[in-house]
Amino acid sequence: MLHILGAQKTFFSGKPDEKVALDGLNLTLDKGEFVVVIGSNGAGKSTLLNAISGSLMLDSGSIHIGGHDVTRVSVHQRARYVARVFQDPMKGTAAGMTVAENMLLAELRQSKARLRVGLTTKRRDWYREQLSYLKLGLEDRLDTRVSLLSGGQRQSLSLVMAVMDEPNILLLDEHTAALDPRTAALVLDATIRAVDIFKLTTLMVSHNMQHAVDYGTRILMLESGKVKFDIAGDDKVSVTISGLTDHFSVKTDRMLLGAEYA
Amino acid sequence: MLEVFSVFWALVPVTLAQSLILSFVVLGVMIPFRILSFPNLTSEGAYPLGGAVCAVALLAGVPAFLSIALAFTAGFLAGTLTAFIHLRFHIHTLLAGILVTTMLYSVNLRILGKPNIPLFREIKVFDYLAFPFLSINAGKILLAGLLGLLFVLTLRFWFNTERGIVMRAVGDNSDMAEAQGNNVNRSIFLGIGVAGGCSAFSGSLMVQSQSFVDVNMGLGILINALAALMIGEAITGRERLLKQLAAPFIGSIIYYQLISFCLAAGLAPSDLKIATGIFVIAMLAGPTLIQKRPVRMAHEKIRE
Ligand SMILES: Nc1ncnc2c1ncn2[C@@H]1O[C@H](COP(=O)(O)OP(=O)(O)O)[C@@H](O)[C@H]1O
Ligand SMILES: [Mg+2]
Repeated sequence: MLHILGAQKTFFSGKPDEKVALDGLNLTLDKGEFVVVIGSNGAGKSTLLNAISGSLMLDSGSIHIGGHDVTRVSVHQRARYVARVFQDPMKGTAAGMTVAENMLLAELRQSKARLRVGLTTKRRDWYREQLSYLKLGLEDRLDTRVSLLSGGQRQSLSLVMAVMDEPNILLLDEHTAALDPRTAALVLDATIRAVDIFKLTTLMVSHNMQHAVDYGTRILMLESGKVKFDIAGDDKVSVTISGLTDHFSVKTDRMLLGAEYA
Repeated sequence: MLEVFSVFWALVPVTLAQSLILSFVVLGVMIPFRILSFPNLTSEGAYPLGGAVCAVALLAGVPAFLSIALAFTAGFLAGTLTAFIHLRFHIHTLLAGILVTTMLYSVNLRILGKPNIPLFREIKVFDYLAFPFLSINAGKILLAGLLGLLFVLTLRFWFNTERGIVMRAVGDNSDMAEAQGNNVNRSIFLGIGVAGGCSAFSGSLMVQSQSFVDVNMGLGILINALAALMIGEAITGRERLLKQLAAPFIGSIIYYQLISFCLAAGLAPSDLKIATGIFVIAMLAGPTLIQKRPVRMAHEKIRE
């Protein structure tokens, strides 16, 4: 499903503050894999996700999604394969527009916008149904402006928008980190359910080691733009936090063991 | 005092006709500013451009409706030029608009050949409504009003279509619109183009209304339009699309009556611009003065 070969990305190349964010990274994901990406600050996790979504172009290396070479394909053209939820709830939704209009924008990811009425009754019914899975009451607020929703509701809406058309790849970059613990748990719960229902191929960046242990089918640890650890299969099932920490030191990380990072 | 009112009252119909014609400029300012988040000054040049193109077309014997369409097209191109300068060279939208307006001044002079031309003999669009039971002003009010209604309804339909919703999303959160697979630049080109077209459309109606075209007719039009927009939005509010679309028209009608009243009350025409400027500043600054600490979701602590 996802094939990354020799991904290289350097910021401020040739300058004194040169930063190698991805350093010949290789990664292959099969359909349905749910990868939790961990790693210390600056390890290149966000850069990896940006490269997959197309918001950053690689210096060298290649990216294939579902057999298509997307290495040089722009964000809006990749959108049909890749859906994304950002850490910042403000980023994933259009605040001045209604919940239903935002859902429509997400739906249009798969097709071309045409000159015909957008919010038909049929669509509104479908959106209502999709939102009802969240159990946040958003299904009754289709015509509410998103700016009036709480951060957690906005992030949940972003999540529904990301998964509703069953994208080939779902990218989650610390998407619960900006939320308070209770809301974060709600959104995470909705995430796990959605990934499970739609069998989505997912890359989820998290600072929480407990998440890496509890969720997903694979753990990917990045360090200095390379894959340091890749645990899948039975190893993943039997992994524990102490097992993980034995693998690498976390003294200087902002990773917290078990506790929610906020 | 009574005299002031009678002078003002006598001018109400003329002013109303004028304000309806000029409301299309206000629309041309509103769309970039409010819907596309692309503050844009192109109107100042697109308005006289529309006037010039229409006048020259009329002089060449082109029918009035076609002349107006040509003017709209010219304004559309002017708008897309501003959008192009901004998108391609990353020049600030305001500067891009100033550049285009400045260049258009020369273009308009070239089109006209001289600074001003009277249009007395040509058949103008308002002549089609010259019925005995309809005064000249009533005809202008009727036509401009109907056209305004047509624009509002068309735009309302458009902004509720899939493409129109995408366009609004581009103005609201362009990163998100792009991440959802939309070609942001295309929406901006189209939106800014239509806005320029609206301003030129207004110019083309104006030269036909006053039977006269002047290369300086756009001077200060932008600040007037902005003032009108502020008034309109203060009255209609902005929370629904229809209100946002109606604001330019309602604002324009009221604003120009206010100006007319000020003039009737003895304000020197040369002082109008400073009065308008102060008014716009007050309207823009007002909310920040009333609401000392602006409450914004973005800075609010996120909670459930
Ligand atoms: N847009 C950017 N410009 C310059 N440097 C960047 C940019 N994005 C990331 N970096 C640098 O690349 C490295 C990896 O960053 P990032 O991928 O954001 O790390 P992570 O998400 O794992 O914390 C860091 O050293 C960071 O400073
Ligand atoms: Mg990051």
